[in-house]
Amino acid sequence: MFIRSVERDTSLDAFRAEVRDFCARELPAEVQRKQAMGQHLERHEYDAWLKRLGARGWITGKWPKEHGGLGWSPAQTLAFNEELGRAGAPPLVPFGVNMAGPVIYTFGTETQKRTYLPGIIRNDTWWCQGYSEPGAGSDLAGLKTKAVRDGDHYVINGQKIWTSLAHWADWMFCLVRTDDSGKKQEGISFILIDMRTPGITVRPIIAITMSHHLNEVFFDDVRVPVENLIGEEGKGWTYAKFLLANERVGNVEISRLQANLDALSRLLAETREGGKPLAEDPLWRRKVAEHEVALATVKALMADQLAATAEEGGAPTLMGAAALKLRGTELQQAILQSVMDVLGRYGQLYQTDALHAGWNGELIGPTDSAGLVYEHLYRRAATIYGGSSEVQKNIIAKGALGL
Amino acid sequence: MPAFSSEERQLLNDSLRDLLADKYTFEHFKKVARAEDGDGFSRADWATYAEMGWLGVCLPESAGGAGGGATELGIVMAGAGRFLLLEPFLGTIVLGASAIEKAGTPDQQKLLADIATGKLTLAFCHAEPDGGYARDYVRTIARRESDGYVIDGAKAHTIAAHAVDTLVISARLGSASGPVALFLVPRTSAGIKLAPAPALDGRRGAAMTLTGVRVPTSARLGAGDADLLPAIGDILDRGAIAVCAEAVGAMAAVTQITVDYLKTRKQFGQLLSQFQVLQHRLVDMSVTTEEARAIVHAALQAVDDGDPQARHTIWKAKVKTAQCARFVGGQAIQLHGGMGMTDELIVGHYYKRLVLCESLLGDGEWYLKQLAAEMA
Ligand SMILES: Cc1cc2nc3c(=O)[nH]c(=O)nc-3n(C[C@H](O)[C@H](O)[C@H](O)COP(=O)(O)OP(=O)(O)OC[C@H]3O[C@@H](n4cnc5c(N)ncnc54)[C@H](O)[C@@H]3O)c2cc1C
Repeated sequence: MFIRSVERDTSLDAFRAEVRDFCARELPAEVQRKQAMGQHLERHEYDAWLKRLGARGWITGKWPKEHGGLGWSPAQTLAFNEELGRAGAPPLVPFGVNMAGPVIYTFGTETQKRTYLPGIIRNDTWWCQGYSEPGAGSDLAGLKTKAVRDGDHYVINGQKIWTSLAHWADWMFCLVRTDDSGKKQEGISFILIDMRTPGITVRPIIAITMSHHLNEVFFDDVRVPVENLIGEEGKGWTYAKFLLANERVGNVEISRLQANLDALSRLLAETREGGKPLAEDPLWRRKVAEHEVALATVKALMADQLAATAEEGGAPTLMGAAALKLRGTELQQAILQSVMDVLGRYGQLYQTDALHAGWNGELIGPTDSAGLVYEHLYRRAATIYGGSSEVQKNIIAKGALGL
Repeated sequence: MPAFSSEERQLLNDSLRDLLADKYTFEHFKKVARAEDGDGFSRADWATYAEMGWLGVCLPESAGGAGGGATELGIVMAGAGRFLLLEPFLGTIVLGASAIEKAGTPDQQKLLADIATGKLTLAFCHAEPDGGYARDYVRTIARRESDGYVIDGAKAHTIAAHAVDTLVISARLGSASGPVALFLVPRTSAGIKLAPAPALDGRRGAAMTLTGVRVPTSARLGAGDADLLPAIGDILDRGAIAVCAEAVGAMAAVTQITVDYLKTRKQFGQLLSQFQVLQHRLVDMSVTTEEARAIVHAALQAVDDGDPQARHTIWKAKVKTAQCARFVGGQAIQLHGGMGMTDELIVGHYYKRLVLCESLLGDGEWYLKQLAAEMA
């Protein structure tokens, strides 16, 4: 207990200042304005910003230097994300930097690294995650999308679902079944698919947010070159788990939690009851303090996890990520629930038109309320995506407690 | 003596269930809620409810109603919750009707007949910007003029206020320290500026400003200068318990839907309903719904019995129901996994309606605070 020494954010002031200056200079005004209003960004708007970050190497600052990263420590990475948040910049989009990239540089060939990593570093390519299927959600290893070898190609048939941002993606990292003769985990392969390949159909799913983020992706005789296979055929489950652990740590975005909590405090100052700001109500102040305690705890869990990861060679484990993902996403929902509790005073509205640029109707309530309601609704999924809370508990039960 | 016998209540309940299960499908709900050229509710459906006698179920027999009590109102509202009805029940047959009954002159009481027949729809506009859930925060002022009143002020977003016939507006008489009165104001009156906006659950409504809105003396509910704040408290209590009943209907429906889903969805080679941890979660949803149903029933009964503690029982019911709604709605999505996140499934719509039920007319925390203050 209490053995490991956890790095503290001490000597990062100069770096923080550099990030702040950069954001002040380079963050496009329109992106900042939309972020402040909680409005949806288009891909080209993300690109305008992310390519600038990419030119500095900052998207992938936390990657090891040998793979084109800057070798940032966890504390520096956190500081970076915090400064982005404070500057009103959108958080990074995880599919390339947090998911595809680390799998490629850890398990890919030299050619694959040369082919794919630069596009992630510079934000020239967008990725999506082809894991879940209609019949394979929590039971991911039950996936059925089939890849059959035909000369220099795999021919892929099947369906993915809940594919976030597939409609923007250039590439998909995809789990496919190359063998169904043995244990279900054993016949899975990890392959990279160009989304422009003939035979791919992307169909939108409108979420409870009333927005398009999710998709179904259909594969109909999609021919993918064999050289797009990562690692060994049939060993995809190993890479898939490696990625999931990264994904789950990434699901807990400290700077986003902090931003949500800051939003809550702002709403409390702005919102009145009986003419008095809610911020003056001791019960509300207690609630905020409660969230602060939980956030400090999640931050500590994160610091611990990152330190353990560094010791163990740079990759988190599913076990290591489970508790963090569980509590981090619960906290996210709890903070956003408090946000909704404040917004109830305005009539619990959801002016979805306000989520889009160019809308000049009359907004009722705080300027970013539609964006916050969107966030509340979307994060109902935080305890579902990346592996549900129940699945995390199963992992801990089995792995940590030996049940 | 309850107004309805158990058999009559059962009949009322069954009539709601039978008709709505057939007519008020999810597809219908979406079509009505989202029609670009509509108001977000259906006047044709409203006419059907009138024909069925649901709108007048607890209006006096003299107004063509069935003379039912709070319990009968609860049965109707639970039906509205179960089928996600979009029509303006709360503003019209609960708050609006109750305002007219409690405060109206004998002449004004005649309007109740129009409610029963579906001819008159109402929205109860009491809450104001900066008032939050406070019930005594009225800054809108009605100044006497020779032949009537001139009203100035602002009201917070109210469900259906963008489309109903008449707004019931609270205002202080003469000055900021005057007694509170209620006015029946046609929605289209000059000087009313509506800011329409959709609520989370698809229902629409509007916030409003009132600038020099002129109404005749007869628009004022009742006579004499008595402060209506206590009556407004009673009206809002009636609204609160009606919203709770609506939430109970929605909770019961979405719990059943979730049970059914887990009985069909397989993962790891098993039905999800066979995982004990999920069985227990479904049990918690079910028991939680039962808790809400029980305390709401107790509160409705207390009102019908004329129990002097009824008010506190209503507040307790609102606290408990809000907590229950949060749990049941959240778990319904959680247990559906990704499916729970789609607009294509009804589950998310129940979630949203329950969020509204939690906060309409004051959320659980607010009522808890009122209870704490009064019980100290
Ligand atoms: C907003 C959102 C974005 C997503 N983005 C992507 C993406 O980009 N790419 C991608 O591949 N996938 C994505 N997903 C899919 C996500 O990973 C799955 O939804 C998730 O793994 C759950 O699977 P399911 O939806 O099939 O639910 P199910 O597996 O059917 O689960 C339903 C419920 O049963 C519970 N349950 C299941 N098995 C057990 C068990 N053994 N014990 C206890 N409880 C259990 C679950 O926890 C859940 O509550 C996304 C999902 C959402 C909602």
